[in-house]
Amino acid sequence: MSSLNQKITQEIQSIAASMLESGQVAAFLGYTTGTIPGVMQPFVARNAQDAKRLCWNSFCVLNLANYLPSLLKSLEPPRRRGEPPPEGPLPKVGVLATGCWSRNIAVQIQENQVERQRVVIVGISSRGMISRRKLETAVGYKEIVHIEEQDNSLLVKGNDFEDTINRWDVVRDNCQTCIHPDPVIYDELIGTLNGNRKIPDRFRQVEKIETLSTDERWQWFNNEIASCIRCYACRNACPLCYCPTCFVDDSRPQWVGKSIEPADTALFHILRAYHCAGRCTDCGSCESVCPMGIRMRLFTKKLQKDVLELYDFEPGLDLDTPLPLSTYKIDDPEDFILTHIKKGDKK
Amino acid sequence: MKPFVVEKAQAGQWLKDLCDTFDIFAPLPSIKGYHDWQRWDGSNLPVVRKGVPKSSIKAFFFPQPEVLFQFNARASNPDAFRLKEPTCHPKPKILFGVRPCDARSVILNSIPYKSDPYFQRKKEEIAIIGFLCEEGCSTCFCKWTGGSPVGKEGMDIAVIDLGQVFHIEVLSDKGEALVRPQFFREPADQEISEAKDLITKAQGQTLEQDAASSLRSKELMKLYNAPFWGKISEPCINCGTCTFLCPTCYCFDIQDETLRGKGRRIRYWDSCMFPLFTQHASGHNPRGDKLKRVRNRFMHKLKYFPDRFGPLSCVGCGRCVRECPVNIDIRQVLKDLLAT
Amino acid sequence: MEKGKSSEWEPKIIAFLCNWCSYAGADLAGVSRYQYPPSIRIVRVPCSGRVSANMILDALRSGADGVLVSGCHPGDCHYISGNLYARRRFAVLERFLEFIGIEPGRINFSWVSASEGEQFAQIAREVTERVRKLGPAKRLVKEITSCPA
Repeated sequence: MSSLNQKITQEIQSIAASMLESGQVAAFLGYTTGTIPGVMQPFVARNAQDAKRLCWNSFCVLNLANYLPSLLKSLEPPRRRGEPPPEGPLPKVGVLATGCWSRNIAVQIQENQVERQRVVIVGISSRGMISRRKLETAVGYKEIVHIEEQDNSLLVKGNDFEDTINRWDVVRDNCQTCIHPDPVIYDELIGTLNGNRKIPDRFRQVEKIETLSTDERWQWFNNEIASCIRCYACRNACPLCYCPTCFVDDSRPQWVGKSIEPADTALFHILRAYHCAGRCTDCGSCESVCPMGIRMRLFTKKLQKDVLELYDFEPGLDLDTPLPLSTYKIDDPEDFILTHIKKGDKK
Repeated sequence: MKPFVVEKAQAGQWLKDLCDTFDIFAPLPSIKGYHDWQRWDGSNLPVVRKGVPKSSIKAFFFPQPEVLFQFNARASNPDAFRLKEPTCHPKPKILFGVRPCDARSVILNSIPYKSDPYFQRKKEEIAIIGFLCEEGCSTCFCKWTGGSPVGKEGMDIAVIDLGQVFHIEVLSDKGEALVRPQFFREPADQEISEAKDLITKAQGQTLEQDAASSLRSKELMKLYNAPFWGKISEPCINCGTCTFLCPTCYCFDIQDETLRGKGRRIRYWDSCMFPLFTQHASGHNPRGDKLKRVRNRFMHKLKYFPDRFGPLSCVGCGRCVRECPVNIDIRQVLKDLLAT
Repeated sequence: MEKGKSSEWEPKIIAFLCNWCSYAGADLAGVSRYQYPPSIRIVRVPCSGRVSANMILDALRSGADGVLVSGCHPGDCHYISGNLYARRRFAVLERFLEFIGIEPGRINFSWVSASEGEQFAQIAREVTERVRKLGPAKRLVKEITSCPA
């Protein structure tokens, strides 16, 4: 493990243990080591003993905010539907949060999925998480048996090879263009804040696609989603997708067919991305969990770019600004609307 | 049957010759980078990489969507509401480069699909040219499930890659029909012994035993009520990755799709990981809880199926281990169950 | 669908019109005998704010060649702010669909008030022309084939 990660791991373990022992939180959300190299397992520590299993490295790719609403609910005493929650404070949850995860927690608070006073956020500034897919490509798809992470490089070992890879080369696309690595909302902080990054061309992947013609874009889009098996890992890993009944499961009317027909798969991805408009923080979980290598965060990145251009808004940066699609301004841009105004009308 | 040998230089010609009658599918590099099943275009000989390709071969045996029948839904149409069989009759297929675990999965899937006419019809039209495994991946555990890296179950032709040549063993009538003597020759003694050595070496790689009989002998309720299910199911995000990539997960759902006067009944893959899987029309859901769903999946594959039919409903290919986004490891579950 | 006498393709455009302004405007166009092509198939909704992306894409999936959504002018919404929410929604949706390769002009939005019969006819003609130039929609159309690829 790299020395940086070692330090962070120790701090996480001690903070979590003290929070759990003192009863400040009933559960602590973090990660533990996985059974195969390059994958970490999200883990809920419920006592000081569990806290010793918490671990941190650059493979923690799944957004922990995804588990928050259901974990909080599971800690409430059981009650019938319609019954109000009991009086008195409800059990709290401690959670690790990097920049994007903390912004998602802020969005969840704004959308009333999570109560601010029930989460104790332990912030960590992220150095960027590593993409397992990029790593696989970097070693030519040879089987990786062991990964040793150093501060700026990775020592990757297989049965018949050994490679040292530059860490930044295999950091995820969204992390490479991230301007908010610091947690924006936190109760405790591990390590130091590194400040916002300046990346003038952070939408470069989207801009590249915008230079294509309409037909080329359609080709690109279909090639991207061609391997989709409709497993919904992307949807389930997304902290924003918490609808009790997803539009995919609606049957009257049925918006989207359930098989992998191209029209249905296209519609699924379009609508899922669209439902994240103005709320997505580009945490990259969707892309990281996709077993088929689909880069669906390019869709939500485009939506991020548009929302920024149209309404000057970035989700999750503060708890007071309402989310863009649940508000309006009288002078919102409407150059796309067809109107015919007769000469002499006042409007 | 006597083994043959095909020079790799000739093997491409052999496959091209078969292209007239068959559609050949092989694990080829996809546009995303990894190897996955694609139609062979007749150019270079497919290179079968170590381990299994991304997807299993079950999509060839029960594709999604699979049209069960079609109908016209306009009352004015003379053919209205008459159910018709789908009219497609694709060329028979050859799956080239199937690993022993994937080939064995066809046998396992045939058990629940014994009386399924769609599956059986497709099975008749598919020939499997399997490649025995010289070396497994760290995520392979076929021996634990009753398979073997050099198992030949389910294959019509078994191939051992000896470097310059393919050592070929024909195992069935379907395989016999694929033989093209102009490209084959008798194996040299050295080639025969090389093949034998390879098999012995591959078999000796792991010492695991088939877990089916141990699991069958355990008491069901003891496994069901075991304390480790909470810990195992906690990180699960209830996607369908494990079920859809698994060669032996075979659940499906059926639906009618009607649009603009045309209709069809299709079946498509369903996953027990989805909450909707057991949703009743009354609103009750017996497996609404994540723990129940995760437990059910492992109990089905490792206890209910072997109790009913004998083998585990798992071939040890390791896809779920590699692709599960939260690293739920079926090997860990197996260990926990065996220890109960 | 049984074809009419003409074998030339005519676009089919689903128009979601808000009950209080645009639908009344369309009605006025009819009563005043302003001509517009019959390609427009109207679906009456209470407010343009009710129209979600699901509905627009469902129209395209079902085989519509184009979609028109029309509501009250901003500030005049019968439900005060429905069209103002809708405006944001449609702006984002339109750009996104263009990004993934749906031809610009397939989905259209307009404000038409209850007294603007002539304008509605004009917009209907314009949208029909736009869609006619693009040809039949093929990109998001669901086909009920018996032999899926």
